[in-house]
Amino acid sequence: MEQDAGQGAGKQAVPSLAKASGSMAIATLTSRVTGFGWKIMLTWLVGIGVVNDSFTIANTMPNIVFELLLGGVLASIVVPLLVRSQDDPDGGQAYTNRLLTVGMTGLLVGTVLAVAAAPLFTGLYVDGSTGKANPELVTAFAYLLLPEILFYGLFALLSAILQARHVFGPTAWAPVVNNLVIMATLVVYAVLPGEISLDPVQMGDLKLLVLGIGTTLGIVVQSAMLLPALRRIGFAFRWNWGFDARLREFGGLALWILGYVAISQVGMVVTQRVLTAAAAGGASIYANAWLLFQLPYGVIGVSLLTAILPRMSKAAAANDIDRLVDDLSTGSRLSAVMLVPISAVLTVTGTTIGVALFNGGATDLADAQRLGTALAFSAFGLLPYALVMLQLRVFYAMKDARTPTLIMVVMTAVKIPLIYLCGAVVRPDQVVIAVLLVNSLTYVVGAVLGQMWLWVRLGNLHSKKIIRVIAVSVLAGGAGMLVAWLAGRVLPDAVSLVTAWVTLVVQGVLASVVAFGVLAALRVPELRPATSRITRLVRRG
Amino acid sequence: MTTRRTEYPVGEAAAGIRARDGFLVPGGVVGDGRYRLLAEFGLDERANAHLWRAQDGQLRRDVALTLLVGEPGDTVAAANARRTLERTMHAARITHPGTSRVLDVLGPGNGVAPGEGLLGLIVADWAQGTDLIDVIAEHPLPPATAARLLEPLAAAVEQAHHSGMVLGVDHPQRVRVTPDGLLRLAFPGPLPAATLQDDVRGLGAILYLLLTGRWPLAGAPAAIPTAPLGPDGQVIAPRNLFPYIPYELSSAAVRSLSDDATGGIRTSSGLIRVLERAKVIEDVTQRIDAVEDDPDEDYDDDGTVWTTRRPNNDRSKRRKLAIGVTALAVATVGVLAWVGIQLISFFGDDAPSAGGPTVVATAPGGGGGQNNPAPPQPGEPIQSAGVQVFNVKGTPDNPRRASRAVDGDPKTSWKTDKYQQQFPALKPGVGIMASFAEPVPFAEVVIDSPSGGTVVEIRTAPSEKPGLADTKVIGRATLQPGKTRLQLDSAEPTQHLLIWITTLATGNVSELTDVGFVRAK
Repeated sequence: MEQDAGQGAGKQAVPSLAKASGSMAIATLTSRVTGFGWKIMLTWLVGIGVVNDSFTIANTMPNIVFELLLGGVLASIVVPLLVRSQDDPDGGQAYTNRLLTVGMTGLLVGTVLAVAAAPLFTGLYVDGSTGKANPELVTAFAYLLLPEILFYGLFALLSAILQARHVFGPTAWAPVVNNLVIMATLVVYAVLPGEISLDPVQMGDLKLLVLGIGTTLGIVVQSAMLLPALRRIGFAFRWNWGFDARLREFGGLALWILGYVAISQVGMVVTQRVLTAAAAGGASIYANAWLLFQLPYGVIGVSLLTAILPRMSKAAAANDIDRLVDDLSTGSRLSAVMLVPISAVLTVTGTTIGVALFNGGATDLADAQRLGTALAFSAFGLLPYALVMLQLRVFYAMKDARTPTLIMVVMTAVKIPLIYLCGAVVRPDQVVIAVLLVNSLTYVVGAVLGQMWLWVRLGNLHSKKIIRVIAVSVLAGGAGMLVAWLAGRVLPDAVSLVTAWVTLVVQGVLASVVAFGVLAALRVPELRPATSRITRLVRRG
Repeated sequence: MTTRRTEYPVGEAAAGIRARDGFLVPGGVVGDGRYRLLAEFGLDERANAHLWRAQDGQLRRDVALTLLVGEPGDTVAAANARRTLERTMHAARITHPGTSRVLDVLGPGNGVAPGEGLLGLIVADWAQGTDLIDVIAEHPLPPATAARLLEPLAAAVEQAHHSGMVLGVDHPQRVRVTPDGLLRLAFPGPLPAATLQDDVRGLGAILYLLLTGRWPLAGAPAAIPTAPLGPDGQVIAPRNLFPYIPYELSSAAVRSLSDDATGGIRTSSGLIRVLERAKVIEDVTQRIDAVEDDPDEDYDDDGTVWTTRRPNNDRSKRRKLAIGVTALAVATVGVLAWVGIQLISFFGDDAPSAGGPTVVATAPGGGGGQNNPAPPQPGEPIQSAGVQVFNVKGTPDNPRRASRAVDGDPKTSWKTDKYQQQFPALKPGVGIMASFAEPVPFAEVVIDSPSGGTVVEIRTAPSEKPGLADTKVIGRATLQPGKTRLQLDSAEPTQHLLIWITTLATGNVSELTDVGFVRAK
């Protein structure tokens, strides 16, 4: 969506975009941090176990349904059209109203159907045959959480409308409010006496209701936050039925994007089934480790790439292949220099991070360690993941939605047998570690595949240069890991919060200083723009 | 190429001019008498702009004049002319071999006398050379020559566009061929409504003209034949007129002309790259036919990646290589996954005893008031006959799973309920009662548990369901994560042994993975 907003801005040349993206970066960071905050609160209060698993799985369902119904299509098609419709004689009023009318009606129907089908979703995502999961509880949560679909949709549509008018602030800050509402919910949950009864699961259970309704309320508030901003830009909603002919020209593109989402969900279903069949806590460990995994990408990757992405889509639109390849190569190399050392740090300190963040409240040491180990084993996938995301943007910028979907097919085809292998071979409570490892490996496949097909289409991608930078980064990361590992032999075992934090800080600082130090000593040119951008960000903050 | 020069005071076009604007004749003067007209070189009818070669009476040099003819009373025409003059002034900043230098821009009251019948006058350096129309009059140019000719003009447009200015290259008579074989915009003066896109379209039209001798845009001068249209209303591709034209150039010309957002060439830089490549391909080979016949052509063309087109066999080779590398990557990842899984299993085996080696906990001295000087020596392990949850208050904790604590399987366990508060708030404790086939003297109990911090007492019991007061403590220990070995201080035989949890682990829940019993020797 950022990319599309960028295109829209190019058309009207709104001068405040640079400033807007700066404050947006802060808002994005805040929303990520608070989002992560409530996940940690949840594990502290509820523990890593059946309740957390059930909540986590149920909480992803509305997201999945929303993505399938509207998500990808919205970002890639509706928003550009929204921008284009501003050139209509009525300034896009009719199109916007029609979009809202049709979109929300469709979402309402979808939501009702999804809520009715909640037990089916549970049956799909939860393998309760081994008695390690609690499908009834998942279904109970799903009934409470699936109505979120409607509000996810409302939020997405409204923010698209706002972004088309170059209003970015409220859409960036609203998720923060959502996170705060959920945090408040968790406080209420903790204060309430009693337990969520697992056998039998009772829909009237007060704590269950609080957790479920509170979380949904967060999304409701998040979308309601946009209404004042909408009124401020003078938008008034009127019912307007009908189908805009312009949507039809994107039909093919939308189908491929939907295919992408659907196929990635096949992989997700298999993952969740194997996890829930293996051991209690698997799903929540997976979700939290994945969140931790994405955090560096979210903070560093995205902020580095937001600068490059609009340039890339502009170059692609202008058929300027040289510039496109140049930007792709720069993006890849910058990602390598920034993310490989972070991977190294995560690998060596993963277990400690798990203990430092999650060993508290209702979560015991073993689960926190398991979470951290899962992170350590999957951390190497950070760069491949970032590359896959980058390549995806390049394909979309070239208006090619088919190749990414086909790449996703290959990735999923590699992933599914490996995940079943994990479930069969690895000890049940360690399955989640193996699954995350496989997950990272499939991103390696995806990155190689994407690079190869871009090469087929675009010619020389300076791949050798990229590989050289990756090699140097791996070398630097390895040096950092070695030093941190040696330090770890002297440091206390991370078995409590205090020791974990001490170990984490010492090892983390050592590993990153050594890794980036080696990169700087080798005079890797890619380090310069990254550091200058960070210093600029710091100065701006 | 021909260097024949034709000057234009004769012919149909010239006759038309005289009829309408009789004052523009060779020898006449314009610009308050400063410029003497020499010969007319064309007419851009869209702006009623007459293109003349003239002589600067003061500096005694030849100049190219673009005369915007019109009555000052015609406000629309006057405004348009003003706009053209402004745009020309902006574009005058550009110096490039592809465009003649603008020397002066004159308007009414500013160099143009009121009675002259002119709305504006653009003075530029005279470009030596040949008319574009003469160059292609005999036959169209070879494709490579066309590309070479057009390139500097495209570069000039590119430079102008970089500064956001329109050059106005959309008319064939405004462009001339210099003696060193370059196209130059000889009569600057963009139309009032011309866009950047029009420049690109103009370049495409000139390319089309060079390749075919026909002009594909509207408003063609009478001297030039217009391009034939296909059944779809689009101009026919040059390649369909002259099959020897390379596909790439032909398609570039057509694509620059189209308004289509998808697949069209919308920037001059896009066109320049095609020209650069076309210059290199001097010979027109059959290979290019193969591109068009490629069954994958649709796929290649569905985006706008025309600039990536390389000789075809290179591409299919690359595709094969890509598939090979991908297969290799998949295989490598498969192997890595297997290694990783083994590694995890290896780590996993270690994990339960992460707290170090088995912890030996001796019973506290005089734990049961016994005065037994030497603890019993451990003998062989013994299986219990049955276990139950032992509970004295409230509901029993997971009673059906009690046997999981003694089944010898580290994957299964028995867990207490999760309590709000530590014992003895709700209960004094909870435990597992193990019964044996006969009274046995016990030396040790080994408890495998992940719940470090749990405090466990081992008690002998007279029956399967005694009161807590009837049981006797023979050992006590705080469990470490992993295996804890409790030495008991009584070898007194008993048929019932109680594992009694008095303090729960963190989170107010304790889990027993496995409990092993060792009899005394």
